[in-house]
Amino acid sequence: MNEQDIIKVFSYIATSARGCIDEPKIYGPFRLVEIISKLFWLLKSNNLIANDKLSRIIDKIDEKKYVCVKDEKKFIGLLDEVIDDLFELVD
Amino acid sequence: MNSIIDVIMKRRSIRHYQQEDIPKDLLLELVKAATWAPSGSNMQPWYFIIVNDKKVLNKIISFSPGLLGNPPNVIVICSDKKKAFEKGGKLGRDELSLMDISMAAENLMLLATEKGLGTCAVKSFNGKTIQKILELPDYVSPDLIISIGYPMKEAKPPKRKTVEEVSFENKWGGRI
Repeated sequence: MNEQDIIKVFSYIATSARGCIDEPKIYGPFRLVEIISKLFWLLKSNNLIANDKLSRIIDKIDEKKYVCVKDEKKFIGLLDEVIDDLFELVD
Repeated sequence: MNSIIDVIMKRRSIRHYQQEDIPKDLLLELVKAATWAPSGSNMQPWYFIIVNDKKVLNKIISFSPGLLGNPPNVIVICSDKKKAFEKGGKLGRDELSLMDISMAAENLMLLATEKGLGTCAVKSFNGKTIQKILELPDYVSPDLIISIGYPMKEAKPPKRKTVEEVSFENKWGGRI
């Protein structure tokens, strides 16, 4: 991982924050889970994280996140599930 | 050859792409289709920036949260607001130019679908930053980014409202 990787993530977050002021409300939660995924893959590609359970949570996010524009209730369900899954991993 | 309705119904917003670059000739064919869209007062305020340089593309992605699935190419559709105002006044600059580039984008995406390509129209980006990255003059506005590439997988069709739900006859609420 180098400084540029981090700057790109920061750029994504700052641009998302600015966008959230004018964009549809549901995009805010979507950007936040997208950032979870981006950070995970950045850390994983640099061998800084290796947790199978966490990996499965991220797979679930990546597979289901786009439901946010098609079915808001299902997206909220995904967020609730991810929180429950993460809770199980926190010491 | 597919009929137009088949292509219209086959088009999806694609957010998972293969990394194979799209040949420039094919991208130019898509732009040609776009330039045959209707245009208010025949203003044709559009410009199409084909992005195939990975460094430029990665910069655009960093400031475009809506640009998902690592597309190998994008086309940024811009409108010349000075030309639009000179020809169409305030209506031309603020409304017609956006309608024109939207219709152009649909032409582009439909031809892409017919060619087996996936696309997604993206508006979630920081316009000022995209303007800087592409070195656009201040009167040229980046209005829409179209991601383009071969789809990684087929996308399921989203639910659509029925014709009956969205159509009236002769007046608001008039039953079809």
